[in-house]
Amino acid sequence: MTGRLVLPPLCVTGYSVLSALGGSRAEHLAALAAGRTGLGPSPLPLSFQTAVGAVHTTLPELPGELSRWSTRIARMVAHLLAELEEPLRVARSRWRPERIGILLGTSTAGADATERAYRSFIADGTFPDRYDFLRQHTFGAVLHVVSALTGAKGPAWVVSTACTSSAKPLASAWRLIAADVIDAAIVGGVDTLCTMTLTGFESLQALDRVPCRPFSKDRNGVSIGEGGALALVERRGDARVLIEAIGETSDSYHISAPHPEGAGAAAAMREALAFAGRRPEDIDHVNAHGTGTRLNDTAEAKAIRAVFAEPPPVVSTKGFTGHTLGAAGAIEFAFAAYAIEEGFLPPSLHAAPLDPEIQLPVALQTTRGRFRRVLSNSYAFGGNNVSVLVGAP
Amino acid sequence: MAITGLGLWVEGFPNTVAWRGGSADPAATKPAGQALDKVNRRRAGPLGRGLADVIAEAVAMAGVDAATVPTVIGSAIGEASTMTGLLDAMWRHGLPMSPAEFTVSVHNAAAGLISISNKNRGMTTSLAADDDTPAAALLEAIGLVVTRDAAVVVACADEPAPPTLAQVAPPWALLAAAVVLEPLRPERPALAALTLEPQAVSAYRGERFGELLRSNPQIGLGWLVDAVLHGHRGAVPLDRGTGRGYAAVLAPGSMP
Repeated sequence: MTGRLVLPPLCVTGYSVLSALGGSRAEHLAALAAGRTGLGPSPLPLSFQTAVGAVHTTLPELPGELSRWSTRIARMVAHLLAELEEPLRVARSRWRPERIGILLGTSTAGADATERAYRSFIADGTFPDRYDFLRQHTFGAVLHVVSALTGAKGPAWVVSTACTSSAKPLASAWRLIAADVIDAAIVGGVDTLCTMTLTGFESLQALDRVPCRPFSKDRNGVSIGEGGALALVERRGDARVLIEAIGETSDSYHISAPHPEGAGAAAAMREALAFAGRRPEDIDHVNAHGTGTRLNDTAEAKAIRAVFAEPPPVVSTKGFTGHTLGAAGAIEFAFAAYAIEEGFLPPSLHAAPLDPEIQLPVALQTTRGRFRRVLSNSYAFGGNNVSVLVGAP
Repeated sequence: MAITGLGLWVEGFPNTVAWRGGSADPAATKPAGQALDKVNRRRAGPLGRGLADVIAEAVAMAGVDAATVPTVIGSAIGEASTMTGLLDAMWRHGLPMSPAEFTVSVHNAAAGLISISNKNRGMTTSLAADDDTPAAALLEAIGLVVTRDAAVVVACADEPAPPTLAQVAPPWALLAAAVVLEPLRPERPALAALTLEPQAVSAYRGERFGELLRSNPQIGLGWLVDAVLHGHRGAVPLDRGTGRGYAAVLAPGSMP
């Protein structure tokens, strides 16, 4: 006999975002409301044409004692933590350090640092003195940086499930708080642009030559981006939004292609609704994974139509930021929170003309309204699916 | 928390029966990946094959359904060998990138291949925390067991860093280990009862593991499997002294 606890929602007491749109809430809200893309030419030299969502915000240097850990991903995290300074101060006064977890996600970790070092190794047989495999390459390296910068001493890990990497830590925190292991956690994730990743997507013929066009009949692939988002989640507190529930499933179909009917994606949405005790008609908006590939968007559209008799407005925000891979789940959680807090949906950029097969109410213009509950979808290599249900307090 | 299943692969000892028996099999030099279907076995490297085999052993011992059990996989460096292989192909040999290799360069490649082989449409995850990876994977599993009131399989593995990183990465030998955790129930036999403590003094030494295995970031889960197999009671360290000091504290179960 097994059963399931009804888990209380998580209080999100602060969150911060860094992407091609900027490094602050104000920059993101302005770009999203204006329908202004952050996609542009790649700062990395590439042998093929594609648009990317590069972060242009000046990132802070790490303190001297953390210099061995200094990578682009670690400096992105430092920027995001600085934006969370006030809620972190309050949380530290409320919870003991060992009851504050650090649960992050990344698909690249320090791969950009390893790429640079490896180029040098191939050229002359030696790695640069500044390169430190254990403190720069490994997935767990960034955890030390977050702990040192915040004083959090609770359970700490990095989820790496490709493009769902930074959505899943929200679920980890939800469970650990319900299980009384921790009281609060710094959650989210970051990813950086890498030559290998961009070349890999090119090898799959999955990159659009122009900025990506999710749900458009002309769509022809993804645009890769970088960035991250962090959130402070607590057992109780002055919540800006709530994480009501999270659904996690697997396609069990193919290592890189989605289930053609979106079966696993639909199951993740249904699981999130069931965990939260919500019905499809309680959802006011879906922030779609919406990568811009023909197969992914078609499968996700089928999944949304399978779950919702009357789908709510659907937006893919990847036309703004690019597909930030391991950071996408966290960034799009934050965009879902913006919809609730700010009362508007950005347009699904470059979606017009819509693919008639999609058959969803994709928002083509900025939409004002009252959005109380939003589902944010993330899907990944390995057939990994996550749906985060974000609600108003 | 009850431990109801165990799995282990180290060179010479392809499962817990061989490990408990104590005689090394010289033919067991690489994980066979028997638990993967043919297509996915071809795609998997030693890391994915080792993880698949220890998961299969642990879920069979526990008698839980591989097609539904939530699966937590831990690895500190994941598919680093695949990544450097892609960089070598691209920059050393000027070859086009292999899309098939790229798709299995992600940390959760093993989780994906195993879920496909097992037809498991449930929750799977893949995580890392350097030397604390075994403790992190167990904590993630404990959260799942408590909130879902169901069995969860935890598997951790790391293969050696690729030879081209020898200047910068420490050496270790491949190790894969797995445990099945379930809620403690009086009517269900368990191998041991488990609690996790952030700091605990341990008398367990795990001396059967050679130096290259003790250097593997996942040795903590190997020690836990060995300790349960040998009826150890008390604290078992989950890292090799370079993590945060988590320990698994074992109490007697009822060996079937």
